Amino acid sequence: MTRLSALFLTTSALSVSASAVLAEGELNALVWCDHTDPALIEPFEAEHNVKVNLREYEGTGAALALLEQSRPGDWDVLVIDGIDVFRAVEANMLAPLDTSALPMDDFFPEVVMEENNTIDGVTYAVTEKFGYNTISYNSEKVDEADMQSLATVWSEKYSGRISIYDYYLPVMGLAAIAGNVATAEIGSGDLPAIGETLSTLRSRSASVAGVVAAQTALATGEVDIVVGGGEWLTAVLAEEQPELTWTIPEEGAVRWAQSIGVVEGSENPDLAMEFIKYIISAEGQARLATSSCFWGMPANAKAGDVLTDMQKDVLRWDSQPDYLALTQLYPAPDADLDIEMQDLWLETLQQ
Amino acid sequence: MRVLPWLYLVIAFGFIYLPVGTLVLFSFQDGTLPVPPFNGPSMRWYAEVAADDDLVSALANSLLIATASSAVAVVLGFCAAYGLARHVLPGSVFLRGLLIAPLTVSYLIIGLGLLIVLTRAGLGLSLLTVAIGHVVINLPLAFAIIYASMGAQQQNAERAARDLGAGEAQVVWLVTVPMVLPAIAAAFFLSVTFSWDEFIIAFLLTRFDVTLPVEIWSLLRSGLSPRLNAVGSLVFLVSVTAVVLLELFVFRKRRV
Amino acid sequence: MTNEGQSLQGCGFVTPALLWTIAFFVVPFLVMGAMSLATLEGRTLIWGVSLSNYAEIAEKAYIWRAFLVSLEITLTVTVVSVLLAYPLAWIIAFRVPAEWQRLALLLAVLPFWTSYVVRSYAWLLVLAREGMINQAMLGIGLISEPITLANTRFATVTGFVHFFVMLLTLTIYANLIQLSPNYRRAAMDLGASAFQTFRYVILPLTLPGVVTGAFLTFVLCIGDYVTPQILGGNSELTVPQVIMVQLGRRADFPLASALAIALMAIVTLAYIFSARWLRLDRL
Repeated sequence: MTRLSALFLTTSALSVSASAVLAEGELNALVWCDHTDPALIEPFEAEHNVKVNLREYEGTGAALALLEQSRPGDWDVLVIDGIDVFRAVEANMLAPLDTSALPMDDFFPEVVMEENNTIDGVTYAVTEKFGYNTISYNSEKVDEADMQSLATVWSEKYSGRISIYDYYLPVMGLAAIAGNVATAEIGSGDLPAIGETLSTLRSRSASVAGVVAAQTALATGEVDIVVGGGEWLTAVLAEEQPELTWTIPEEGAVRWAQSIGVVEGSENPDLAMEFIKYIISAEGQARLATSSCFWGMPANAKAGDVLTDMQKDVLRWDSQPDYLALTQLYPAPDADLDIEMQDLWLETLQQ
Repeated sequence: MRVLPWLYLVIAFGFIYLPVGTLVLFSFQDGTLPVPPFNGPSMRWYAEVAADDDLVSALANSLLIATASSAVAVVLGFCAAYGLARHVLPGSVFLRGLLIAPLTVSYLIIGLGLLIVLTRAGLGLSLLTVAIGHVVINLPLAFAIIYASMGAQQQNAERAARDLGAGEAQVVWLVTVPMVLPAIAAAFFLSVTFSWDEFIIAFLLTRFDVTLPVEIWSLLRSGLSPRLNAVGSLVFLVSVTAVVLLELFVFRKRRV
Repeated sequence: MTNEGQSLQGCGFVTPALLWTIAFFVVPFLVMGAMSLATLEGRTLIWGVSLSNYAEIAEKAYIWRAFLVSLEITLTVTVVSVLLAYPLAWIIAFRVPAEWQRLALLLAVLPFWTSYVVRSYAWLLVLAREGMINQAMLGIGLISEPITLANTRFATVTGFVHFFVMLLTLTIYANLIQLSPNYRRAAMDLGASAFQTFRYVILPLTLPGVVTGAFLTFVLCIGDYVTPQILGGNSELTVPQVIMVQLGRRADFPLASALAIALMAIVTLAYIFSARWLRLDRL
């Protein structure tokens, strides 16, 4: 064996064992990009003298796959789409959560969402943030009146000026709402009609884009409307480009919510709980709400005491009761319908 | 007509430098969006990048993996090239083909295969797994380059050394290696380049400690900002400096 | 020349590299092959021998269309890149004075060293409606309104061509520079024009190098995920994107494996097609 390879093996062996030793003061979290803002994480790290390791993921499937391929104890905290908590529970990925220590009474009542977070009477996760998948647009380039109804948002007039947010659940939800079908009631029989709406929408769109691509497109003037966008998309840009805004059409829109929970088999369950308590506290909620990746409403209404007036304006704090009443939850298909919907999505969105 | 080649050269260079130019220009953007119009030069994004711990550690990880995996690839490649060039082995054509085969497989597929196998084998994802993947993609390259430079010239020198009583290890270390050093250096340099910038294998095979391209990718996913421009420009600057230094001190020397 | 003892020694030298290749390349490949024959029931993986994944590839329109798209893009990119890189390599090899050649070559491939991910993103900015290209065209009056260039196949192809022109310039130059000038002199002496010299002497001699470069371009392009993902606007998916979708959205390893094997089959076909000229071990 040459000296070089021996050296390499030794250093790698050392680093592997070193990281094992350091694990005591570490928290491993699988999260959405809004949790990676240092402004959110550093106060917690400083107070508890720990290191928070964050790994971002994009789709729930990816997170579940990652968890399945990991060894028990690899992960401590999971942030997951509210609608997918049951999937994580089914796959034995979440540990029961003791919510007695959390200020649940301070929550906006509509977002406690027991039907998402509690399975068979056991609570596994708690909502931490919510917002809307609706219509984001450039108020200087489009007729705002057209944005108030789904029937006119993607009319011929705006052909080529639209981008579609690349996530099938909310956009198909919007398509269903446009066709007068409630998201909770979507069934196989509704798919053809939804497919047609999607096709029409796609034919008038310039692109199907993820978070950054959609932001880029809107900010650079590539498109003027983002279907499936919302405050989460434009709030980050609002300071420099206040003409980028959003609205909820009269037919309604889709409400997204993200939940946070402790991973089953975690080696630091107490620390994980402390982290969740921090995130749910008023300060943590305020920071999470205005996190650098995307903004959203905090689940804990007390965060309103910590947020500035300008921030609350951008989040439309005062209109929330109306919005909550007007919006529906994500479609929650069973496994088979889910595959059908995903296939339909991939089919219609490639034209 | 004589102007034509030069015109083509200018246009070609213009095309090649267009994205890099835009990148560097808007890294000095005074504003939150790296799009025209360009507002006066500002260094704030470079300051942000330097202060970003994640980026700095990703950079360190990239360097570590690049040098380590290239070193392993070059050593293995050299040994294999020496073995095959100097000895008649059964099925040597097949062996050569096997060693070169990974060149024809896309990195995504190599990464996918390793992901499936390594996680099932219980080995957690980490920088080590990425380094393994990078050796897989660089080994064929190192082997091919070094093998191509093992010619009769070296063989004669080796025979002479053996005749003079040198042991096999001495022959290899004192005669062969110095003679094919340019090829070894080229193989190492090329491997470092490919590993340094490699994205998909690093993306699939890491957990928390990520390499620079993966960190840049998550930056891309989480917010539009000239910070990305600053990072790209810095990477470019570092690489250019390295290449220029190499050119001045390693390759120039050879000509003298 | 060699005896038994030396043969064993030779084996000894080759073994480490061989073991590494087998352990970390061949075995994963075989496992992936086996995985492509497995099926997914809900979240559980069931090993077996089933062609259902391959059937899915043939049946689902968005998948086989992705293969067509990948092929179209890759072939376009390969042809355009070779056509653009050859003259550039030629000019550097034969028109640029010898002492400046290495500098010219270095300058031509320097952007290679910006991060690949960031470079693709930079193209997005360049091609945006308010980006450089549109501004320039509006400025000289070529168009009256900005046109959509980003998030299209054009953007993907441009991003690819940019990368591969640099790569091919390097490989073709290395090839051209090895040509003995005597060939050209001999052809000229025999009365051939510059074009004839090129067509009948230089071109055939450099063809192996060009084909090798083109093959490399083909392999790298068809398997690339980053460029289409950043520049393509999801208006059409390529095979690597479809593979990543399977991994990301559904953790469908069997289908992803089947797609990977199918992609390999295409590359193998390309290899067989160009085998006559291919000199991979003489890069």
